[in-house]
Amino acid sequence: MSAVSSSKTIAVTINDTVYEREVEARKLLIHFIRDDLDFTGSHIGCDTGNCGACSVIVDGVLVKSCMMLAVQADGATIETVEGLAEGGELTALQQSFSDHHALQCGYCTPGMLMSATALLRTNPNPTDDQIKKALQGNICRCTGYWNIFEAVKAATADMA
Amino acid sequence: MSGTTVIPERVETQKPQKGWAGQSVPRKEDKRLVQGEGVFVDDIKRHGMGYIFFVRSPYAHAHITSIDVSKAEAIKGVYGTLTGEEVAALTDPFFQLSTPPGAHLKDYALAVGKVRYVGEAVVAVVAETRELARDASELVEVEYEPLPPVTDARRAEDPEAPILHEDSGSNLMWEGVYEWGDLDAAFAEADRVVKIKELHFHRFNSTPLETNGALVEYNRGTGQWTIHTNNQFPGFAAIMMGPAIRCGLDKLRFVTQDIGGGFGNKITSHPQLVVCCLLARKLNRPVQWTEWRTDFHLSMSHGNERWFHDTEVAVKEDGTLLGFRTCALDDAGAWLRYEPLGGVIWAQVTPGMYRWRNIRLEFTQVATNKAPVSPNRGYSRMQHLWFTERVIDIVAHELGLDPVEVRKRNYVRAEDMPYETPNGCVYDSGDYAQMLDVALDLIGWSGAEERRRDAAVRGKLLGVGIGSTLDSGTNNFGQARMINPELQFSGNNEVATVKLDIFGEIVVTLGTTPQGQGHETTAAQIVADILQCSVDDVHVRAGHDSYWNSHAGFSGTYASQFAVTGLSAVKSATEMLAAEIKKLASAIFGGVPVEALELAEGSVRIKDNPEVALPFMACGAIINANNAGLPEDLDVTLNCRYVYRPPFQVPDIERKFGNLTLTYAAQVHAAVVEIDPETGYYEIVDYAAVDDCGKRINPQIVEGQVMGATAQALGAAMHEVFEYDEDGNLLTPNFYDYHVPHALDMPPLRTGNIESPSPFTPLGTKGMGEGGGAGIHAVCAAIQDALRGHGDAIVYDSCNPYHRVWDMLQHPERTRELVEVVQA
Amino acid sequence: MLLREVEYAKPSSVAEALAILVEHDGARALAGGQTLINVMKARAASPDVLVDLNGIEALKGVELAPDGTLSIGPMTTCSELIASAEAKARPILGEVCAQIADVQVRNRGTIGGNICSNDPTNHLPPLLAAIGAQMTVAGRDGERVVPAEEFFLGVYLTAVGPGELLTKITIPAGKGDGFAAVTVGADGTCLVNAAASVNGAVRVALGCVAAAPVVLRPTSGDDEAVRTAVRAAGLFPPADVHASSEYRTHLAEVLAVRAVRTAVERS
Repeated sequence: MSAVSSSKTIAVTINDTVYEREVEARKLLIHFIRDDLDFTGSHIGCDTGNCGACSVIVDGVLVKSCMMLAVQADGATIETVEGLAEGGELTALQQSFSDHHALQCGYCTPGMLMSATALLRTNPNPTDDQIKKALQGNICRCTGYWNIFEAVKAATADMA
Repeated sequence: MSGTTVIPERVETQKPQKGWAGQSVPRKEDKRLVQGEGVFVDDIKRHGMGYIFFVRSPYAHAHITSIDVSKAEAIKGVYGTLTGEEVAALTDPFFQLSTPPGAHLKDYALAVGKVRYVGEAVVAVVAETRELARDASELVEVEYEPLPPVTDARRAEDPEAPILHEDSGSNLMWEGVYEWGDLDAAFAEADRVVKIKELHFHRFNSTPLETNGALVEYNRGTGQWTIHTNNQFPGFAAIMMGPAIRCGLDKLRFVTQDIGGGFGNKITSHPQLVVCCLLARKLNRPVQWTEWRTDFHLSMSHGNERWFHDTEVAVKEDGTLLGFRTCALDDAGAWLRYEPLGGVIWAQVTPGMYRWRNIRLEFTQVATNKAPVSPNRGYSRMQHLWFTERVIDIVAHELGLDPVEVRKRNYVRAEDMPYETPNGCVYDSGDYAQMLDVALDLIGWSGAEERRRDAAVRGKLLGVGIGSTLDSGTNNFGQARMINPELQFSGNNEVATVKLDIFGEIVVTLGTTPQGQGHETTAAQIVADILQCSVDDVHVRAGHDSYWNSHAGFSGTYASQFAVTGLSAVKSATEMLAAEIKKLASAIFGGVPVEALELAEGSVRIKDNPEVALPFMACGAIINANNAGLPEDLDVTLNCRYVYRPPFQVPDIERKFGNLTLTYAAQVHAAVVEIDPETGYYEIVDYAAVDDCGKRINPQIVEGQVMGATAQALGAAMHEVFEYDEDGNLLTPNFYDYHVPHALDMPPLRTGNIESPSPFTPLGTKGMGEGGGAGIHAVCAAIQDALRGHGDAIVYDSCNPYHRVWDMLQHPERTRELVEVVQA
Repeated sequence: MLLREVEYAKPSSVAEALAILVEHDGARALAGGQTLINVMKARAASPDVLVDLNGIEALKGVELAPDGTLSIGPMTTCSELIASAEAKARPILGEVCAQIADVQVRNRGTIGGNICSNDPTNHLPPLLAAIGAQMTVAGRDGERVVPAEEFFLGVYLTAVGPGELLTKITIPAGKGDGFAAVTVGADGTCLVNAAASVNGAVRVALGCVAAAPVVLRPTSGDDEAVRTAVRAAGLFPPADVHASSEYRTHLAEVLAVRAVRTAVERS
């Protein structure tokens, strides 16, 4: 019989490092990532699961971490924006975002990058519509999305 | 999303170019932001900090009969609370810009005695964790005695209307009459008078993805607060907060960092900042506040909702516009925060882009039981420019004229520039007709009829519409005196410091608070051009810190001015530094005249003998660490501070006349919509945006601003609205109900630009960040065009969701009733 | 945005899950969380115990029987259903799932969660009602099968009672299906939606117009017959910031006709 409890010790792998913490069951994964583990690259922009600023990859799947509990990530492998670049070397996507001025304030950018990263992993040659669909869950108020789209599209050509 | 203009070529940053200005230099900000290493205010942590949760009013209008925080405070981990009663004892009401009766209202950081809008903060609870603060807030007991609310500005001055502010005795917050030219003559000369009973500009804002927030620390020894915040106009916040908290402004240190969008909606957070300050002092610990999305929607910086009543337009048969009169009714919401300045800021663009000389506008601003209105992108001008564009289209429509021709006939012409408007504003430069031609070309205007037929075959109604707009920038704050002659404000300023450090590092500090506009990059471009080095050698500090005196009274990033105020300050500070470098080199080289020296490749050298050179590093080292033996009268510090001051006069208050803004960027947009007449659903199927902001320092950044403004305008045009029910409940308090555009919503976009340098600014630049809402104007025009011949409804509201389009299809007579054309 | 204190359990079997649901009065099943966690953030509802179903393999999977019947585990996510080769036997399923919100939501949001939350603006309740799905509900007295038309009882209310779980969704074979919606923005919240299925007879289910999907049986697939059926339904849809009652009523008529046209074309 599985335990029913208001807190749990969880072990979560984030960007290749394992973190073990005790958390309340009610704690949202995004708060755990940001407040408990200091990975402040993922952001919060709303309170209804609409904006996507909190998007991370959990066990290979793109999710909005504001709609998962931290306890649900016990044993999971999580990738956040901080884990994309290796040794300060930007990924083709990150570079493409800069090249195409796909970010202004940068607040939505981590979420956008995770969504685009997830897309290109499973679909390295997406159609225009597939790109837009992949970004649909990420709100941006600065750019109007056009440059973000161009950045992702250009990155697919780079990676082709 | 095909068909965008070619993005100007990216520039290598390794080797110095002929000129960095005008190039799309890669942004310095990007490296940290794409790695999630930006620092936003909620990222900052302090040991022992407490998290705030606000208890907010569930009523639009009510007396507060009692507050009991004891149960909340009894919880372990709750550090304390703050109530309105304490605030009223510890602070003075916020300074009011208005004249009586509006001026009499008492605005405190928390509700005192009464609540006046749903979501108004009543009590602040501070606890060890965010969750605990939220939990404890539910144990705060507030008793209310509800009162009837005022939710329609048109009813706010009815004799039986509930009064929000007893101290004012009226819901009238401010009123004024603006009149220039000769209205009687204009209407006598007119062939026709077009009368429009009512137009409505709706309430919305730019909902930056990051909400407002702060982390405030109090130093007991010095009495100084350090306010880490994302407020975008710290100069204004300080002026409001200091007197309220009863401290000198030097006790308020504002530190900003990366800011996740502002768009004007991060200017009036001073009440919440006061709460943070009081709590940081009371509880002797750092206090953290992050606004929830719902809190933001409920309470922060709604854009002005404005009615235009009883408009009359004097027009000749050929479409020449002679003048207009109208009554503007502005809904300020429950408190005046930065208002009633919005009551005059539209006057920067009184005639819009048109040459009519005879204008009368009666402006009335009232309070209602809704969230307080404060700056929003396009602040107050967007509403007015929408009004002028609606007038153009309605006049054209009613007189059977082509809206393109009416615009061209009435636009201010390039040869008229600089053009003095009827109220003394000087449009610096521009060629609106040319912009219109570019927009029409981009949108395929000549093929519009064929497109319309093709759409009809598919059962759709196609419409094409134009929206032209101005983005007036660099305010003359003297306009405040037209609201209230007692206000001792005028002019404007911005500060930059540029120094050469010990190892030759060029370090720039700005007074600005960018929220994505790329100030670090564009400032570096200006500096690098003057010092003849690479942009990589120029380090521009991120954010604003008032502790280090790199700011002035008006410092901040708002009102479309950085390209003028910020960059001009950078330019002049750098020129000072360049002059000092040469002076130093002159002394070091044994008295070589300064004119014989030049800056090149990161050194100062003799023009005719370039091997005699002093690298910047050497200059920095000498002044900072090795200065014995320098001439006594050598006044070189290599740390140069410049305050840019635009050339303004105090306006003539009597005539309400004078130049209110220094520059006037312009945008002309065109939209193509297809309406499904069976449902009222519609799509924007094509879009063009043409801009002119004078000299573009970084074209890619400029274009990014145009795109962003376009997207926000399209969202506002179609869906975004802060709508209230009759009890004063906000029906769109989050991103679920308040629909902003997402990636799939964006039309294909074509952009174009012309450059009409401003003759009045040091760099020929014009501020352009706000844009002016052209997308709203264009979509309204396109919808009205689509409905031509299908009921001929008049588009009367700036927001046209599907249900409104449906109504216009079903009952065009209801909107047609709003318009009447009479023989003059 | 901050939940009340809650207890959490992650059972690995249906029996275990049921036991916890039965033992704790205020226990609720947590499926994808794409609705429930938002509800809890707003503190509109605060269960005492969350029973996380994500560890129960028996609730996942899509099986296609030789006769074309689909058995769908309720914990199948929208994304999994879209990608499922088996589910392509009834293409409307994946097509409609692909219109739900965004990829993040579809990656966690489940079929079972979408229909058990029965938000009147959801896509799947009218769809499943139109195509004649059958829901298997397990409780302390064993299992029972509830046809879709009897499953959706009211706003947020279904035939799954306290201490019970939806364990399977059975979809009969067919392909004459259609779906039409007007949404707030692309892939946005539905203002009105309509699902139709033609399998000899015509069945239409309207969403967003009442507390539960309104199922209609027009006499034929002709536009006029469909309109007549909608009018006869005496709809009185809710009004909100996006649409008046009259507008929703009108949309219902238009969308029902469009959904049926598609269904007829495909049948």
